[in-house]
Amino acid sequence: MSSLWPEHIDDIVEEFRDCFDSMERYELLFEYAKKNPNPLLEEDWTEENQILGCQSRAHVICSLDEKGLFILKSGADAQIVQGLMSITSIAVNGLNPTEVSNLTPAYIEEMGLKAALSPNRANGFLNMFNRVIKEAKILSET
Amino acid sequence: MLDIKSIRADFPILDRVLPNGKKLVYFDNAATSQKPQCVIDAMSNFYENYNSNAHRANHTLADEASSALENARSQISNFFGAKPENMIYTSGATEAINLVSYGWAKNNLQYGDVIVITEMEHHADIVPWQELSKEKGVEVRYVPINNETFTLDMEAFEIALEGASLVCVTHTSNVLGIRNPIEKIIEMSKEVGCKVLIDCAQGAPHEKIDFENLGADFLAISAHKMAGPTGIGCLLTSTERIQEMGPFMTGGSMIKTVTTNGSTFKDGHAMFETGTPRIAEAIGWGAAVEWLDQFEMEDIHSHVHEIAAFAGNEMEKIPGIKIFGNPSNKDSSGAVSFLHDSIQSQDLALLLDQGGYAVRTGHHCAQPLMDALGVPSTNRASFWIYNTKEEVDGFLEHLKYICERFS
Repeated sequence: MSSLWPEHIDDIVEEFRDCFDSMERYELLFEYAKKNPNPLLEEDWTEENQILGCQSRAHVICSLDEKGLFILKSGADAQIVQGLMSITSIAVNGLNPTEVSNLTPAYIEEMGLKAALSPNRANGFLNMFNRVIKEAKILSET
Repeated sequence: MLDIKSIRADFPILDRVLPNGKKLVYFDNAATSQKPQCVIDAMSNFYENYNSNAHRANHTLADEASSALENARSQISNFFGAKPENMIYTSGATEAINLVSYGWAKNNLQYGDVIVITEMEHHADIVPWQELSKEKGVEVRYVPINNETFTLDMEAFEIALEGASLVCVTHTSNVLGIRNPIEKIIEMSKEVGCKVLIDCAQGAPHEKIDFENLGADFLAISAHKMAGPTGIGCLLTSTERIQEMGPFMTGGSMIKTVTTNGSTFKDGHAMFETGTPRIAEAIGWGAAVEWLDQFEMEDIHSHVHEIAAFAGNEMEKIPGIKIFGNPSNKDSSGAVSFLHDSIQSQDLALLLDQGGYAVRTGHHCAQPLMDALGVPSTNRASFWIYNTKEEVDGFLEHLKYICERFS
């Protein structure tokens, strides 16, 4: 893992950085929404895994595989949140939970999507991200 | 005829360039309007030259602040055709409605009494009545909307009115832009001896409100949707109703005497204005109504309606867009709610923001209405006096581009 984000998402960060404008960036994000490596199917969306404070519907489940490595499943009805979570899944899947708990959303900012990180916006990505970090901390202590 | 170019020049924020380099196009007026320079100046002038607490001291600044506060009350009440002594400053329409609930209804309604509200109310005109129902056992009846016309079901209203003591209805829906037949509602309510509260938060920026002529018992208004500052509004009521009201919030300023045995309270609006008044905000609101008074409210409505009707009609032609409401109706205000059939509302709002277009997204504090419409949220573009057809043209172009590229 580099100092700010896992090296294996460097190409994704670069891909977004190279976008011509914000609309192209969001279009790319919509494409990533469809490439969610661990989708949480809508029938598995429950109150327990729902992200509160999010106007769109967003759900996450964090777990460890048999090797003790992190797996993030996510589902959201808003494509922008889903795209951000897909990239986050790609970033954290396979890391150990301590590494995940130390992650910051710096990669999102570097991708030119700083607006998604504002706690004043109702899109909910930051709430989802914070939930993942919190659950990673709990999993690293078990 | 409004000189929109000159009007826009009064609003410095309309020249704002957003961090992405796009010029701001502000279509979130149903949430709050922008403020003309004269309002900003009036408030700054207060803080720069005569900031003092009102009603509480014998020095020059206190005298000036007190006079300004009361002058603003006269200006504002006069603008709404009400008596200044029957205008109670509040933090906004929400507090005004709570004041009716806690100050009037709690003292005048009994277990089993009926309050009639509608499905299209803002939460501010729902939750206080639900809370009162829990506390006092009053019954709350909800008048439904017709899902095809988006108007109130007046036959259901007539039925709900039977045996009711209080009707609480919004002048204009903050979601649909639909203006309710409030004159008819007041007339029908009065015929059966029912008191009426009108939530004018959305109506006041769009048409001339004449409280005395309307004949309602209570009228709730927010300043910030009509060029005034945030944090202030008022309840307009009648001498008869104000005499039936008891204190809501208690403390300084609203008392006649306080002893260890108890307290006595002032009469009239003073009983409901405890604590330090919102002096700068009242002065700012006074400046806002003075600014608005240079125009005919009918001209403002015509301008806003023309833009909203044009926007609504053109948006409906974009594949995938559905409009909730009837912007073409001559009485409709400037709020146009819409959804795209495949682009989620939060996504759509963020993509519109990339073009500089500020629209609102969510349930708009009207969840029962969302339930009635069968949707969790809508996007809402809402227009006001300074918006132009050119802005709408740009908006439509950007919206079409989003729909083509992202659906």
